[in-house]
Amino acid sequence: MSGPRTLFDKIWSDHVIVVSPQGEDLLGVDFNLINEGQSFLAFDQLRMEGRKSRRPQQHLAVTDHYLPTINRHLGTTGMPNPEIRRVVEMMDENATEFGLPHIGWNHRDQGIAHVIAPELGISQPGMLITCNDSHTATNGACGALAIPIGGGNQLRHVVATQTVWLKKPKTLRITIDGTLPDAVTAKDVILSIIREIGVGGATGYAVEYAGSTMRAMSMEGRLTICNMSIEAGARIGMIAPDDTTYQFLAGRPHAPKDADWPHALAWWQTLPTDDGATFDRELAFDAGRLAPMVSWGTSPEDCSPVNDVVPDPSRIADTDRRRHLERALDYMRLTPSTPLDQIAIDRVFIGSCTNSRIEDLRAAAQVLRGRRASVPGMVSPGSSGVKRQAEAEGLDQIFLAAGLEWRDSGCSMCNGSNGELVAPGERCASTTNRNFEGRQGRGALTHIMSPAMVAAAAVAGRITDVRQLSRP
Amino acid sequence: MQPFTVLTAVAAPLEIAKIDTGMILPGRYMRRHRRPGHDYGEAFLYDLRFDETGRPREDFVLNLPAYRAAKILVTDSDFGCGSSREGAAFAVMDYGLRALVGPSFGEIFQVNCIQNGIPAITLPEAAIHDLWRQLREQPGAQLTIDLPSQVVVASDQTAHAFDISPLRKDRLLRGIDDIDVTLEYRDAIERFEVRRRSTYPWLPTARRE
Repeated sequence: MSGPRTLFDKIWSDHVIVVSPQGEDLLGVDFNLINEGQSFLAFDQLRMEGRKSRRPQQHLAVTDHYLPTINRHLGTTGMPNPEIRRVVEMMDENATEFGLPHIGWNHRDQGIAHVIAPELGISQPGMLITCNDSHTATNGACGALAIPIGGGNQLRHVVATQTVWLKKPKTLRITIDGTLPDAVTAKDVILSIIREIGVGGATGYAVEYAGSTMRAMSMEGRLTICNMSIEAGARIGMIAPDDTTYQFLAGRPHAPKDADWPHALAWWQTLPTDDGATFDRELAFDAGRLAPMVSWGTSPEDCSPVNDVVPDPSRIADTDRRRHLERALDYMRLTPSTPLDQIAIDRVFIGSCTNSRIEDLRAAAQVLRGRRASVPGMVSPGSSGVKRQAEAEGLDQIFLAAGLEWRDSGCSMCNGSNGELVAPGERCASTTNRNFEGRQGRGALTHIMSPAMVAAAAVAGRITDVRQLSRP
Repeated sequence: MQPFTVLTAVAAPLEIAKIDTGMILPGRYMRRHRRPGHDYGEAFLYDLRFDETGRPREDFVLNLPAYRAAKILVTDSDFGCGSSREGAAFAVMDYGLRALVGPSFGEIFQVNCIQNGIPAITLPEAAIHDLWRQLREQPGAQLTIDLPSQVVVASDQTAHAFDISPLRKDRLLRGIDDIDVTLEYRDAIERFEVRRRSTYPWLPTARRE
């Protein structure tokens, strides 16, 4: 009998097929998600080698990165860029050739992989899930071990063998306790963590988010937190399953049903970290001290509470950090010591696997209700299901009345691989996850923040503290 | 996969922190098929190497004549953080680099590089600063990466030891592919699958429609 174990240890050891004496284990993959972003590289190679998919039913291809969010009714002919159209077509051809289930551009469940896998009940506690996408840890919010893999060699390996070689990471528990202040959201929690520990701060670790703040948080919020684990360097982020998880999963299309449900539940309840289990590292945050966050630089750690100012590189002692800051402010066209809420913006984007679920859209709509956006922008729901629900609640009408575009779902302007880009020099307030140079398009100036904060920025035309927005 | 043993080659210092995979391979190049003569070499760090009109930025390190033949890049911190795009590793390879040395790397990117035969070697910051200095002072200087001995040898003959997992070292040295190794465990995989699906019969499966 082993001693107290962590959530991570339990799920990891449950999937080990070969313990390698050389430092990496061979793990069985319960389910693999595939997006069209460069997965063609893996299929090209599999085809050349004459390899087949070992367990096609344990895969789901999802077209999300390259799909334009307008003119869906025109099908692939409505995609003006031939290279983009070709990538969308190749995903369909590859899924067909390898016998893989596929949610393509015209499927009623189409959406962003990490939004629809939880939504369809595919992401369940105790599972090992892989995907050729760095934000795969999103699914860890459901109590799963969800791990990003490379879209070439590693995806090819998972398709051919339904296994993956991995070095066992160290464990890091981040405990967040207390009640979140008004207008402080899951996005602000994870940005505060990343600001504190840096974009490499959790590299090599599997992160478990714990504490009373997490226990009180909705599934949508938990998905946002786990989603940005990679922005702190961690490939794995997870949250122990609890009643919130079980209620979220119950009745979803792929969730256990009927006689299976009590058996699944009994197993899931054994998964949370045991009392007395030890982690390689522990961090603690006080939710009550957090504020709405906005980024001002070119890395997700470059963010501050909205009532702060653009930092002054000349006052940074560390030379490497100072060099990064000087470059970042030059790229972002910002002057040191400018109050963040004086930064004028040109456009807004609400969407992405970070913040496009129904709760995110409700939060943005609540700010925009009865108001007009003073800059252009678009809203892209995370899935067709989220879109239907938002329309049933009338949220689409609020966005449209505010002057924003109501689009179809996809990764869209988060990274622009579908051609929807922020123009060079244009400043965008965005609910997305990355603000690296050129992320939303060459020369694009990205400020990441929560949906309510993006909505407030849209109204004010500048970064603004949503708590100080006057009533319409 | 091309085996990697000992490499002595020109190294270039790239002193910019937090270059993410989207800068290594800009999104607009990811739609391209990668084939001989039309690979990702051109796309590698495109927006740093070229200006808005497509002209090479003359002051960018890789555009300086002394570093054109570089096969090793000595990077800054968090090189390859961000998106998991494996094309970024291909861009490194297609550009003609055979190894990376830096203070820290994005973890997915580092794995992708190593699995494609490109060691991405982590050294302490002080060692990196020393390598940068030497490479700046003697443009075109060479570094040696000795994988069997696990050392990086600078032009002044200082040797810096590095860590690498024994498994990755072995597969790099022999140039062997993960799938070949995995298939030797076919029976163990089969047993795992039967056991798992019988214990947890509700685990999700999807169907083609």
